[in-house]
Amino acid sequence: MRRLLILALLYGGMSLILPLGVSGQGGQALLTFGFLILAAYTVGELAAAVRLPKIIGYLVAGVVFGPYVLGAVTYEASVRLDAVSQLAIGLIAFLAGAELQWSEVKERGAILLKVMSTELLFGFVVLAVFIYALHGLIPPLRGAGTATVVAFALLFASVAIVHSPAVTMAILNETGARGPVARTALGVVLLADVAVVLLFSAVLAVAQMLAPATDAAAAGSIGAVIWEIIGAILIGGALGVGVAAYLRFVGRELMLFAVLITFFGIEIARLAHVELLLMLLVAGFVTESLSEHGQELRRAMERSAAPVFVVFFALSGAKINLPGVAPLLPLVLPIALVRAAAIWAGTRVGSRWAGAYGPERRYVWMGLVSQAGVAIGLATILADAYGEMGEYMRALLLGLIAVNETVGPVLFRRALDESGEIALGRAQSTGSGPGAAPGRAAPPAVGSAPDPGAASGAAS
Amino acid sequence: MSTTLILILVVAGAYLAAHVAFGWLARRFDVISGAEYVLLGVLLGPEVSGLISSSVVGSFAPILTLALGWIGAVVGAQFYLPVLSRIPIIDFRVAFLEATLALGLVSAAMTGVFMWLFGLTLAQAVFPSIAMGAVATVSAPSGIALTLRRLGRRAPVARQLEVATAIDALVAIVAFGLLLAIGHAEPEAAVRAPTPTEWAVIGISIGLVGGALFHLFLGGEQEVDRLFIGLAGAIILASGAAAYLRLSPLFPAMLIGFILMNTSANRDAVKEVLGKVERPLYFVLLIFAGAAWEWGGWLWAVPVVIFLIARMLAKVVGGGVAAVLTQSTSRLGLGWGRALFGQGALAIAIGLNYQIVGDLPFSGIVFTAAVVSVLLTDFGSARWVNSVLGPWLRRRPRIGRPEPAPLPTEEEA
Repeated sequence: MRRLLILALLYGGMSLILPLGVSGQGGQALLTFGFLILAAYTVGELAAAVRLPKIIGYLVAGVVFGPYVLGAVTYEASVRLDAVSQLAIGLIAFLAGAELQWSEVKERGAILLKVMSTELLFGFVVLAVFIYALHGLIPPLRGAGTATVVAFALLFASVAIVHSPAVTMAILNETGARGPVARTALGVVLLADVAVVLLFSAVLAVAQMLAPATDAAAAGSIGAVIWEIIGAILIGGALGVGVAAYLRFVGRELMLFAVLITFFGIEIARLAHVELLLMLLVAGFVTESLSEHGQELRRAMERSAAPVFVVFFALSGAKINLPGVAPLLPLVLPIALVRAAAIWAGTRVGSRWAGAYGPERRYVWMGLVSQAGVAIGLATILADAYGEMGEYMRALLLGLIAVNETVGPVLFRRALDESGEIALGRAQSTGSGPGAAPGRAAPPAVGSAPDPGAASGAAS
Repeated sequence: MSTTLILILVVAGAYLAAHVAFGWLARRFDVISGAEYVLLGVLLGPEVSGLISSSVVGSFAPILTLALGWIGAVVGAQFYLPVLSRIPIIDFRVAFLEATLALGLVSAAMTGVFMWLFGLTLAQAVFPSIAMGAVATVSAPSGIALTLRRLGRRAPVARQLEVATAIDALVAIVAFGLLLAIGHAEPEAAVRAPTPTEWAVIGISIGLVGGALFHLFLGGEQEVDRLFIGLAGAIILASGAAAYLRLSPLFPAMLIGFILMNTSANRDAVKEVLGKVERPLYFVLLIFAGAAWEWGGWLWAVPVVIFLIARMLAKVVGGGVAAVLTQSTSRLGLGWGRALFGQGALAIAIGLNYQIVGDLPFSGIVFTAAVVSVLLTDFGSARWVNSVLGPWLRRRPRIGRPEPAPLPTEEEA
């Protein structure tokens, strides 16, 4: 009742205020930001009350209050808040990197690589073949030559296999899960983000040979992609050293520092044309590895990030064009199902190959279904490079992303619930469960089923 | 250089300056921290180096609006009723009289100046004059706090000064908020234009709804992270709503601060969060206020100089008249208003607010007057306070007469 009253007050207030004000100035962006913080957080709590992930609530709030339904959040205001989305991605990447430990990377790196490479390969091949088979139903491809159809199928598949670090981190933060399913899913998603950038660039180069882009400049070059990856690692490492030095010699105003360093990283990545997510991931990893005060910075970042994450997912929901997506659902839903099946199969095979017979073999695939910002970015590159065909591809991909963005978090939460990792995470964070102890969660032994009593450490 | 990089460098530079240079200046020369950030902004702005251009300043409007709102909330949070109720009513009478007289005297003086200098009618001159009156009413508490710490003792006038600075802020924000409501332009959309009274009610309602939303949002939980989100959400929403409606964010945010302070079960956490976030926003506000300043020609110097003189006279005369009318001259003296010469960030905030609303008359002069006044008065603020408090503290207390008690703390209340 209280939450419904909040939503009624907020929506009622916005309805009264919007016709009276002056658009095109910073006031509307700030008003929308404040509205989304409170409204989306409230809807998130409603979602949690029916045992759905909170980010589903944030997304639903964005869809319902967004420009395509109730209109409390206008399209212009949502575009002006892109800086908030950038900040959220930056914080997510840094926090994800800070979650990794060197010991874990050494111990589980091979498993993660094998699972990631197999499920990406499965997903790519299956989706490319499926799209090729369906090309008669896709308007820009009817009557197109084989080369064009193959190019379209390859490009589509290379974007469709992308996962979402943002959703993964959000679910892990919300549930406090730190077991093998959680850490394997997170590791695969982070590694896949780098691999997909490489794969996408390679596919784009091949596609250009088959069907030249209408805007070749938008398509980019292989050399630029290689610099994106290597440069991100180098600059991210340097940034991490700088952050560790600040924590060592100054160590004050951590909340403000967290926001500033994230913005700084975003700006450096833009100026240097390196992959942002990877750069800040490396920065977070290096900081955590070098500094004794990494946990304090992470805590400050999590506190700064709380309202930003809420608004980020709400804005993602607001940008879902429901009237635009609805006509494409007959195509999008089968593609989504095939994608999920390919991820499931690829993960099973990859886990077997890696010798991982624990719960991750059964459940990790559910944590790989989500899609969000990274996929949207790549879809936009295609739209810019391939004109009308690219625009249709983007529309189809946005529809697919909308479905996966909604279904994925529910699946992942269910996976963590059924594998017992949510309950274990809560027990460890309150210090009441078996094996509960302060400190980070130690990774489970390779290839063994998890023993709740053996896993130690509290959620951060 | 990109906007984001500029913001990062500005804030980082401000913190470095605060910890390295300005802190030393404050301790060595009794300079109150604040004016130097404005000066830094002027040096970075288009009038001097041009590192921060006018368009960059414009793009930071949302952050500046948030800073205004946050400062308003901090001002409102001062008014904790259980503490205020233990202060003698006479102190409030003196303070309200002084604030109102200062507002009225400066507004009247500037009305005459605008009419004479620019050939305006009374109706045209009153609007920017009252804005300048609101700026003039503000006085800085930091000089008083610094001096009291140094002297280590309290005088009867010390409590009065503390009350006066709080009431000055209240009167200034209310006057400015009402001014923007009364002088509001018609909305763009095809709706019936609200009357000035309705705009004032809308401004008040934004504050009340913001406070209500905070409590509804928090429910019965007292978790600090949730409190932070609720507080940030309420202030951001209210500030944005006010700015979007071309009202002042200071006014509704002050109401939110007042409501939170007097109704929240976790007042200490609210104060802590308000204070922590205020600091960086304060720096950004002052630096970008300095960067936003543009000189409009030597004709501006006349109203600005007259404003400075009128303000100082108004503070002294207002304080003296208030003391006489309330029969407090033996307690305060006639010249106690000198201690209120210092201005501080709120004066800049009001001047900047007047400027960024857009299309308000003589916004450049109003803003320039605020900037110049702060730059000049902040440097001497502690000395003026010392000149008022010092003679009281050099007197030996009569036998049997106890020293006046300090303002009660929240725990005592």
